[in-house]
Amino acid sequence: MREFVFPDPSLTSRAGQFVWLAINTEEEKNAPFLLKFPGEAVPTFAVLDPKDESVVLRLVGSMSVPQLHAFLDNARIAVAGGGGSGRQADETLRAADQHYGRRKYAEAAEAYRLALGQAPAQWPPYARAVEALLYSYQQTSAHDRCVELAQRVLKRLAGTPSELTAATSGLDCALALKADAPDKAQRVAAREADVRRIVADPKVAGAADDVSGAYGSLLEARRAAKDEAGARRTAEQWAAYLDTAAARAQTPGQRTVFDSHRLTAYLAMGQPERAIPMLEASERDFPQDYNPPARLAAAYQGMNEWDKALAAADRALPLVYGPRKLRVLEVKAEVLKSKGDLAGGRRTLQEAVAFADALPPGQRSESRVAALRKKLESWTAPSPPPS
Amino acid sequence: MHRLTRASLTAVLLATFAPLLGAANLPFVEDDYARALSEARSRKLPLFIEAWAPW
Repeated sequence: MREFVFPDPSLTSRAGQFVWLAINTEEEKNAPFLLKFPGEAVPTFAVLDPKDESVVLRLVGSMSVPQLHAFLDNARIAVAGGGGSGRQADETLRAADQHYGRRKYAEAAEAYRLALGQAPAQWPPYARAVEALLYSYQQTSAHDRCVELAQRVLKRLAGTPSELTAATSGLDCALALKADAPDKAQRVAAREADVRRIVADPKVAGAADDVSGAYGSLLEARRAAKDEAGARRTAEQWAAYLDTAAARAQTPGQRTVFDSHRLTAYLAMGQPERAIPMLEASERDFPQDYNPPARLAAAYQGMNEWDKALAAADRALPLVYGPRKLRVLEVKAEVLKSKGDLAGGRRTLQEAVAFADALPPGQRSESRVAALRKKLESWTAPSPPPS
Repeated sequence: MHRLTRASLTAVLLATFAPLLGAANLPFVEDDYARALSEARSRKLPLFIEAWAPW
C-alpha cells in the first residue's frame, strides 16, 4: 500500500481529514496496541472515533486507490453519525460495520445479510457490504453460505475489483467445505472456474495482490484435487504474472514488494533457484532489511543447499525482530537437521520456543508456541545402538 | 482486497505486498498510538490506522 497506493497524488487532499497512524505489528512496543485492537491478518485498516476509541470502520486486506477513497468517505460518514439518508439499509449497514469493527463476525454477518436484503437497486455500498459479508462468513466458518453468496453476486460485480475478491472468497470457502459436504468437488470446480475466467482477462480489475492471492487459491484447488501437473501449471502462470508486475516496478522498493509471492510461486513450481537473483538484488538494495536473506534461506533450503541456507539465515537473524524471528529460526533449525546436525537443529528450535514464549501479550501466540514445542518433541535424538 | 486466509501459503514466508517506505503524501505517525490519539482528540479528527508488517 505504501509503495503503490499511499503515495498517490489524489490522496494529498485527504491529509488534513484524518490523523494517520501506522502500526508495525512486529515491533514489541506496539504489543499493547495489538492487545487492545487484535487482528487476524495484515494489513488491517481501521478508523477510530477518538472520543471513545470505538472502531467505526475496519477492513482486512489491501485496497486500491479508489477503494481507499471510498473507505475514507465511509469512515467520515460513520464518525459523523451515519449517512442521514434515512434508508433502513444504511442504518443496518452502520450496525454491521460496528460489529465488524469489534470482530463480532457472527453478528456482523447477520447485519450485513439484512442490509443487503433491505438495499435498493444501485445501492452504493453494495460491493463493500458483500465483501464484508463474505469475510464474516469465512471468519465464522460459514463456508456453505459463503460459497452460495459468492456464486450469487458475481454477475452484479462483473468488471469491478470486488468481482475477483468475491470469486476468490468463494473458492477459498468451497475448498474449506467439509470433505463429505454434498457436491463438494463440483462446487469447488465451479468456483475455481470463476476465478480462472477472471484472472485470464488481461484487463482484470483488481490490485496486483488480489490477483496474486487468486492464483494462490487456484494453486490450492489443484493441490486439493491431487493434480500435480495442474498445480505446477498454475504456479507457472502465477510466477509469470508476478514477473511481469515486478518488471513494471519503477523503484527497487516497488520491485521487492513482489519478492515474497514470487518466491512462493517458484517454490510451488519446484524451481526455487529462480528466486536467487531477485533476492540477491533486494539484499544489495536494502541491506538493513531482514526479508531478503530470510527468503534466500528458504530458497536455498528448497534447493537443498544447506550451507548457503544457513549463511543466509545467519545474515537475517541479527536484523530480524518480533514474531517473524520465529520463522527464520525455524528455517535454520530445519536446515541444520537436514544437514545431519540434529543437535544443532534442536538447539535452534529450543531458541525459537524460548523466544516465542517470551513474546509479550499481543504478539505471543499460544498456538505458535504449542506448534514449535510439538515439533521440538518430535525431533528426538536417535537411540544409541545396543551395546 | 486480499484476504490472506490460506495457512499453507503463509507458511512459506508469505507476505502481503507490504510497505517498505513511508507514504510521502500522508503525514503518518509511526508506532505511537497514544500520541496519534491525543492529536486526533485535540484536532477533532478521526484516527486512521494501518496495522502492517514489514514482511
